[in-house]
Amino acid sequence: MMNKLKKLSVSTIIIYSILFLISLTVLVPLLHLLAMSLSDPLKVHKLSGLGIIPEGFSLINYKILLSNPLIIKSIFNTLLITIVGTAVNLLLTAMTAYVLARTKFPGRNFVMIFLIVIMVFEPGLIPEYLLVKNLGLLDTYASLILYKTINIFYLFIMMRFFEDVPESILEAARMDGAGHFRIFTKIMLPLSKPALATMGLFYGVYHWNEYFRATIYLTDTGKWPLQLVLRQFVVERDNTSLLGAQNFLSYDQIATLDFASLQAGTIIISVVPLLLIYPLILKYYAKGAFEGGVKD
Amino acid sequence: MKKGILKQIKSSWVLYLMLFPALLYFSIFHVVPLIGMKLAFQDYRIIGDNVWVGWKHFKILFSSPAFLDVLKNTIIISVMKIVFFFPIPIILSLLINEVRVGKFRKYVQSIVYLPHFLSWVVIAGIWIAFLNPEDGGVNVIRSFFNMPSLDFMTSKDHIRWVLVFQEIWRSAGWDSIIYLAAILKISPSLYEAAKIDGASKIQQMRYITLPSLTSTIMTVFILNLGFFMNAGFDQVFNMMNTSVISVIDILDTYVYRIGLLNGQYAYATAASLFKGVIGVILILSTHFISKRFTGKGVW
Repeated sequence: MMNKLKKLSVSTIIIYSILFLISLTVLVPLLHLLAMSLSDPLKVHKLSGLGIIPEGFSLINYKILLSNPLIIKSIFNTLLITIVGTAVNLLLTAMTAYVLARTKFPGRNFVMIFLIVIMVFEPGLIPEYLLVKNLGLLDTYASLILYKTINIFYLFIMMRFFEDVPESILEAARMDGAGHFRIFTKIMLPLSKPALATMGLFYGVYHWNEYFRATIYLTDTGKWPLQLVLRQFVVERDNTSLLGAQNFLSYDQIATLDFASLQAGTIIISVVPLLLIYPLILKYYAKGAFEGGVKD
Repeated sequence: MKKGILKQIKSSWVLYLMLFPALLYFSIFHVVPLIGMKLAFQDYRIIGDNVWVGWKHFKILFSSPAFLDVLKNTIIISVMKIVFFFPIPIILSLLINEVRVGKFRKYVQSIVYLPHFLSWVVIAGIWIAFLNPEDGGVNVIRSFFNMPSLDFMTSKDHIRWVLVFQEIWRSAGWDSIIYLAAILKISPSLYEAAKIDGASKIQQMRYITLPSLTSTIMTVFILNLGFFMNAGFDQVFNMMNTSVISVIDILDTYVYRIGLLNGQYAYATAASLFKGVIGVILILSTHFISKRFTGKGVW
């Protein structure tokens, strides 16, 4: 018995240690940025590149960032695009998925082939840009909401979810004389809440993280989403974000600020909402992907 | 007979109405730009109609050293990712599968899935900070081992490896899900029989788990080949800087720069059509190969 335990624990300890180290490669960089953003700007130079405990404590970085009109506006823009975008995505994806997965009508095969052809043949960047330009959608929120309004991969996943709803329930509704639209809204949608949650997270995370379409479609910084402001600040190293500081800081104080800590704070601001819904993501998104794998 | 179909169509009008928004959307936002790819054979005019120029842009493309470099970079980065990234999620799933303590397993899984949900901008930001030559975490570790500090982000010798490791960091955890799901389907009786025969953990992994994963591994590998020409646009776009552009500029970043930044719409569309055609050939062949060998296609 003793022997068995010992033997088990050697390989087990190695495996657990490897996995623990792997988890640190994700946790340490994130916690380091958090520590940096919360450190006192005058002491932050003492923080080691692997340090995860703030040197001193100060909220000054967040005060500066959250008093910056560009950042405040961009958070609002991201929320708007994410909420409206996801709602439109969900409605259209679910409605289309219901018709294709659960009804029969002449031309269904044609529509399916059309969708597969469209999935294989992706248009290029330039014609997409020219289309948005010609439609007069440059510098509008609509240009971002209308990109991949229906993601065909997600549509096919949604169809598979809908196929799981028992036929007997739909049949009973049909017997009661319910039409397709009624069945869709009163039966299909309420019965598919977990599927809708999964799909909503798929689309929602996409919108929250989207920056590229915004890069090419939006020149008006007032419409920029948070990710684009973040990109401008962290990747392009453009320090206009500091402008927000002038409201309540003297120029001497601005000079003492640590640019890297401000960058870290911006990253944290954009990650926190994602972390807040992360339990939901694990529950629905990851589970959906996991079951997708099992089902195939 | 004909009357029957007409009657069916008439009675399905609600369904057509429900499909209409989707079909309209795809027609405008997918079919129109798809047809717009004809720009590759034209010269773009701001006023008036575009002029057909045949293969002109393609001839210039293939005699342009810049384009050939970009093509080379795309292939090198894709091959590096397939060779060095592909096995990692499989190994990770085998490791996670050995964890029997529920809480630790949950902890590991929730942490390693996380980077998949971060935007590429955030990931680039995290890595730029962590690879910082002065006080970044990686160089802190290097100095601990008495190695000189390195500026990975501007080093032509290292930046492609940075892309590979970053891809592992971001996606290995998430991609292990599909293998974990496949492992769960393996019958426990196989392991029990092996245990009775005295097989060690490693032997069980080697002779039961890994062979059971073959078809999943095949499928994932083939599907990945279908996206070979992508090489990771968002990643390169955010990790790009002037010092390393010559070694990590790929087809998609090239199209973006030449087309949208320099305004050479037609020329860039030709490059993007070339990439698209190869992509379609790859996806179609991988679909049929996969269907043939594993019974499961791309769609």
